[in-house]
Amino acid sequence: MEAYRQEIITGAVVFYMLFCVLTGLWAMRRTTNSGDFFMAGRGLGPIVLSLALFSSTLSGFGFVGGPGLVYSIGVSSFWMVVISSAGYAVGFFMVAKRIRLIAELRDCISLPDIAAVRYRSETVRLLMAMTIVLGVMGYLATQILAMALVMQAILSGTDTFANIGLVSCVIISSTVLIFYCVTGGMIASVYTDVIQGGMMMVAGVLILLTAMKVFPGGITEATSVILADDTETMMPFGAAGIMASLGWFFVFGLGLAGQPHLVTKMMMNKKVTDNRHILPMSVFGYVMAALLWISIGVVMRASVIDGLIPPLSVPDDAVSIFLTIFSNPLLAGVVFAGLFAAIMSTSDAFLNVGTAAVIHDIPKAIRGTSITNELFWARIVTIILAVIAASFALYSYYADATLVALLGAFGWATFSASIFPVIAIGLNWKGATVAGAIVAIVSALTINFSVQLAGITPPYGISGGLLSFVTSLVLFIGVSLVTPPPELDDDLNRCLEL
Amino acid sequence: MSAYNTNKTIIALIFLTCLTMGALLLFILNAEIVVNGGGIKHETFSGMSIGGDGLERLSYTGIPSYVFGALLIFLIVVFCVLGIPPQKRDFQLYMFVLCTLILSLFVWYQMISSHLEYLETGVTGYFLGFPTASAWQMYGIWLSSVPLISLYSIGFRRYVFSDSDEKEFNALLEKSRSNEK
Repeated sequence: MEAYRQEIITGAVVFYMLFCVLTGLWAMRRTTNSGDFFMAGRGLGPIVLSLALFSSTLSGFGFVGGPGLVYSIGVSSFWMVVISSAGYAVGFFMVAKRIRLIAELRDCISLPDIAAVRYRSETVRLLMAMTIVLGVMGYLATQILAMALVMQAILSGTDTFANIGLVSCVIISSTVLIFYCVTGGMIASVYTDVIQGGMMMVAGVLILLTAMKVFPGGITEATSVILADDTETMMPFGAAGIMASLGWFFVFGLGLAGQPHLVTKMMMNKKVTDNRHILPMSVFGYVMAALLWISIGVVMRASVIDGLIPPLSVPDDAVSIFLTIFSNPLLAGVVFAGLFAAIMSTSDAFLNVGTAAVIHDIPKAIRGTSITNELFWARIVTIILAVIAASFALYSYYADATLVALLGAFGWATFSASIFPVIAIGLNWKGATVAGAIVAIVSALTINFSVQLAGITPPYGISGGLLSFVTSLVLFIGVSLVTPPPELDDDLNRCLEL
Repeated sequence: MSAYNTNKTIIALIFLTCLTMGALLLFILNAEIVVNGGGIKHETFSGMSIGGDGLERLSYTGIPSYVFGALLIFLIVVFCVLGIPPQKRDFQLYMFVLCTLILSLFVWYQMISSHLEYLETGVTGYFLGFPTASAWQMYGIWLSSVPLISLYSIGFRRYVFSDSDEKEFNALLEKSRSNEK
């Protein structure tokens, strides 16, 4: 079997991509209007939605960057993982029920739609839509680049595609992504998420079992090796220190309820009462898949320190080298396909919320009405967004990484800081005001962008994301307390009391 | 106390907690800088960082950081309470949430004390693959949210969306649709 390693891995990835294409074709028949395209007809069951939720949370960043972070800074990065259960709990308590009720009551198809209804303000809608578009471009570009780099690594190991270029890999992987997103919209997205989520869970468990066998003493021996090298790396705050760790604890914990690609999915379930099952299933799925993040990172760092393998040229190589050296070809095939699954499940969700912001929310905020024939334009804009993001990805790789890095600053942390107060608190506190919402969004964007542009590195590993999140929370509540709350429509007023 | 006032109290608590956390951040930003506060490069392996002297990096900012973490745990629990409609919050709920908060803070305390003990003695036990302090983080922090998840799932009809809520929402929906027609 070892002799066919490359063929098995390539076969698994090709099989997975074919599945995505077929799902797109299947979902196209079920996508008849913009409600189907953006909201999957609000008819998803609990299993589908929980798998879609957690697989969209754990992106390529989690599957590639996560183990790389453990390799690089040790336990510090565990905080992004261990806080997930609290993050999901906050998200479900504060957002899941109300956003679903309002979406049905007012026929909302996007997060800015919800904000506009809640605050009766087109300015809040516009600001939120613009934040989403900027963040989506950064996220998508990094995801597409990651997808292409992994594909290049796989295909260059075969005789036929030994010299394949990055541009070709960007074109192939983006074409598959665009195809199923354009044809099947959110329906294709969530049903591919189901398989993607399942693959990620299986990969997480199998990788843990493999990682436990690398050292004779299992994970305990691996962590002892790291501890003997440096007293802090294997301790709770890792090499990056306590404030960096707490920054991730804050931003990834509370911030989960501010991620547009996740919160939007909370509007899609068939029955509100399914939420009681979706929460524990999502947490369980995430924990299983995240085992890969922790186990590969720990074992790879220990293996290098122990002299078992040579040092990695870049930390992000941790997964691919682990699979090459320590896993059997079948597992490598499953994990590489799982890796594509992780990247694509996040990319398709972002593509969808970005398209909704462009064709639905921005025109509505500016002209007062949305464009006609939304479904047609949704498909066109999905292609345009993906092509722009792919171009950003290639530009950042070959010319200048600043652009994507800047847009990347509008990633998880900016979404957390700008959307969490406005949506999560705003849906639970009638005292939240338009002024509070505007100040929170603007301050979050300004602080994150300034820290990134000016290249500021605060001491003790404090991140710009943490500073902006705390600031936006204080400003949102503070400004709301001193400004008059908007008058709520009767139905919305009652909905906020349920 | 009316339902509206209860939410006002919770918002005030959240606001005060966030203000305190902001003040702690300012204090830490202005504290004496320790070289290894945010990690330093590994001398041998270029892609790795290390933490170095653990006691030294906590010397100026240890206590404020611990308080910041405890306040964050408090904030998570209070946000969950804010997500429960005021009229559904009863004595049992507050007791349950209080116990969850105490459990989470206990895990936080155990993690910190195990870490400090290791830094002082250089000796640590292991639990399921990880040094004691990290095991409290890995398993303790992860599991300390289980009561909140259970509260949501098991107490869904009582605290999140009751049968009467469902009926009322359906009536709202019907009214809204008939208005549209």
